[in-house]
Amino acid sequence: MRCTTWEQVEVFHTRKLRAGRLLSMKVPFDAEIGAQVTLGLELPNNVVMAIDGVVQKASPIEGDSKTWIEVELAGFTEDVIARIRGMAEGSGPAVEPEPAPPPAPSVRTSMPRVSEEDLPNDERHLFQQLTTELRRMRGAAVHEVLGVESDAGPEAVRRGWMSLVRRHHPDLVARHRAPAISHLAEELTILANRAYDRQRASLVADGRATAIRSALKPPPGWLVGFDDIASNGQRAATATSDVSVKLVEPPKLPVDPNSLQGGEAFESRARAMLSEGDSAHAQEVLAAALCVYPRSRTLRSLYYVAASITALQGGEVMLATSQLETALAHFDSCREASLILDHIRRNGSQRLDDLRRHFR
Amino acid sequence: MKRGRAVGIDLGTSNSVVAIIDADGAPRILTTEEGSTTLPSLIWFAPDGPVIGEAAREGLDQAPDVTVFGAKRLLGRRFDHPEVRRLSRTLPYELVESPNGDVWISLAPGKTVSPEEVCALILYELKRTAERFLGEPVTSAVITIPAWYDAAQRQATKDAAQIAGLDVMRLLSEPTAAALGHGAHRGADRKYLVCDLGGGTFDVAAVDLEGGVFEVLATTGDPFLGGDDVDRAVVEHLVRDIRQVKALDVSTDPIAIERLRIAAQRAKHELSGVSTTPIHVAELVQLPSGKTAEYKRSMRRDELELWSAPLVRRLEAPIRDALARSGRKREDVHEVLLVGGMTRMPAVRREIARVSGREPSIVPNPEEVVAVGAALEVARLEGAIEGVLLIDVAARGISLSTNEGDCELVIAQSSVVPTREHRLFPTRQDNQARIEFDIWEGESVEAAKNRHLGKYAVVDLPDGPSGDVLALVEITLDTDGTIRLGASELVSGDRLQIEQLVHTGLTRADVARFARQFAEAS
Repeated sequence: MRCTTWEQVEVFHTRKLRAGRLLSMKVPFDAEIGAQVTLGLELPNNVVMAIDGVVQKASPIEGDSKTWIEVELAGFTEDVIARIRGMAEGSGPAVEPEPAPPPAPSVRTSMPRVSEEDLPNDERHLFQQLTTELRRMRGAAVHEVLGVESDAGPEAVRRGWMSLVRRHHPDLVARHRAPAISHLAEELTILANRAYDRQRASLVADGRATAIRSALKPPPGWLVGFDDIASNGQRAATATSDVSVKLVEPPKLPVDPNSLQGGEAFESRARAMLSEGDSAHAQEVLAAALCVYPRSRTLRSLYYVAASITALQGGEVMLATSQLETALAHFDSCREASLILDHIRRNGSQRLDDLRRHFR
Repeated sequence: MKRGRAVGIDLGTSNSVVAIIDADGAPRILTTEEGSTTLPSLIWFAPDGPVIGEAAREGLDQAPDVTVFGAKRLLGRRFDHPEVRRLSRTLPYELVESPNGDVWISLAPGKTVSPEEVCALILYELKRTAERFLGEPVTSAVITIPAWYDAAQRQATKDAAQIAGLDVMRLLSEPTAAALGHGAHRGADRKYLVCDLGGGTFDVAAVDLEGGVFEVLATTGDPFLGGDDVDRAVVEHLVRDIRQVKALDVSTDPIAIERLRIAAQRAKHELSGVSTTPIHVAELVQLPSGKTAEYKRSMRRDELELWSAPLVRRLEAPIRDALARSGRKREDVHEVLLVGGMTRMPAVRREIARVSGREPSIVPNPEEVVAVGAALEVARLEGAIEGVLLIDVAARGISLSTNEGDCELVIAQSSVVPTREHRLFPTRQDNQARIEFDIWEGESVEAAKNRHLGKYAVVDLPDGPSGDVLALVEITLDTDGTIRLGASELVSGDRLQIEQLVHTGLTRADVARFARQFAEAS
């Protein structure tokens, strides 16, 4: 339960609580009658009061994982109420989770408006000044932190926040290189930012401002940007792009990279693919291999052999033949190229499965 | 340790730049040993030690499986992310899952390296570049990151810097850095649109300057659009031309393609200044006769523009999207800033002018302006420049859950940082010693829809009956947008220890260990 102004605290215990101590609320867990619960009541000065209670009634809400419960806040004693009132008045003993800030001063008399004078430059005085301002702000309600009226509009809230940030932002004191001062500045800015976010949220809830949604998003697929092949859902039209991005299907090295040296690893992988009739992948592996070993004649000729098989699978006998001739031009004793040329002369683009055995 | 000098670093996906502000206040880009202002973000893990930058290009040819590029994209990512899965199939180097589920890079069986360490090598090289120029140690830096980086990615960037021996003064968002480098802080209040078209990606950001405070309102982009795509389009047309003129099909010849690509790139650069340029590839391809074929033609700027037109048209959508998301019309924008080498192309400038409705400002050094902005930020933090402030907001919400239950939003998306929220956890048993909780990035109630950042435990709770001991857990997003945790016992106010059970990214101990190894190795 969070109250951002002292008025809300007053309303909480005078109106929201029935008979001074019965609270009805929706909770996101199953509650049993008689169960012990603790309500964290957050006060405008960032103090959280833990108030014990016992569940008196519980009824699950249909179609929701939440439960309506009625809690008797046994811990909400006169003593506690007096303490809270005391804090609101600024005269009671403070129960602060933060390490020992002094009692909150009266909020009525000391609205912590942003002081107009500049912060002192020398470190000791700066430290003291920031400490004082932090104390004052910790004891203030949200709108008082921002130095605006409780019903201020979005413009005023933003102006108030802006002037705080321009005074206290840790970057402004970074030049002192003093961790203690940076820490104080960060604490002050955290208070200002939280007050700003809360005030904005309540303005949105009142319908006086529109919700601000962050539009800081990575462009879709930012991670997959190394190749453009899948970029607009279509493969690049020619083989050009595939080769110029160097690697489409990367060759993975065999488990023991020492077992095969240099291009042989690529070659054996490509041959294995060709023996299974997967010439398109073999071609990609060989294209990758050629980026690594551009001078290997075996790899070059095998690349064109693979390309010719791909062409044959598409029924393009002429293209396949010219690819095989290129293979032989690169490496004139390429056995596979000669064998496939023979095959084409006899069978054309038929019975391609017969070709597989040449690569075993 | 004596505090050395500070530098500004643009840690890019494909290129990185380091800059300083001279004693006379002028920004200076520092050059690598090869005399280039940009360092390719490329590392070849050669057998006798890592090779960084330009020299590592050789590794792309010789050992693509141990030559790492684009490590920035892997920073702070989880291995089971679908995009990482897709990526791992197309990268020449192998991605593996680290013990805590992050994505790492495998160099050899049993030898892995984290993206943080890879980026640390790049940062270290930039640090050395600066030290060579300044003649004194460099110990801290401002590093630029995409504005939409989430907490884990920001933390990973910081870890990389720490491994390299650099203390991060501030993480600075790239569009803000560009506006700062352009000198926006000296001008009046303005609404900027920053368009960054580099080698591989196109990023658009709406940046506001109001009363000396910079704020990034929206970012969008096209991750597949950049100079490389233009090169490829040109090469495709040249291949077609060769087929018609010379009756040669070079489309399946990788070596010919690579030579054409280099020629196309050079022509593209020259055509930004002149209207016609010659293309000449002396040895295009070896003919079956054994002779080599030569390819020569001249290329006009209108041809380049015609061929790249489909790509240039893709600039429009992200710009419109950025305007829409920042909730403004194009008339509201005061100035359009062009960043990145590709914005030198006249056709790109014309298209951006057409879409945004105003003539874009020409930045004299579009490749380096982001690094200049980072260097200016150093000067600002050191107190040399006054009257300007950068505001960051949380790119994603932070949620929390206990006992495998629903996630509860703690810090909302777009909260201004630094900020802090707390949650209260009562004990559920007598003398309960620890309370475990999970932290998630995302705003969904369902854990599966959020990203797990870590599992933590508040330990050594004081003894007491059930419910009497209350642990107050504080979650702070600091000025850089990274997460810090703290806990105390509510009633007594005593500090409590938090134990890290599972944690995304490197642990503090890992970072310290890598930093030590790094310092010893270099």
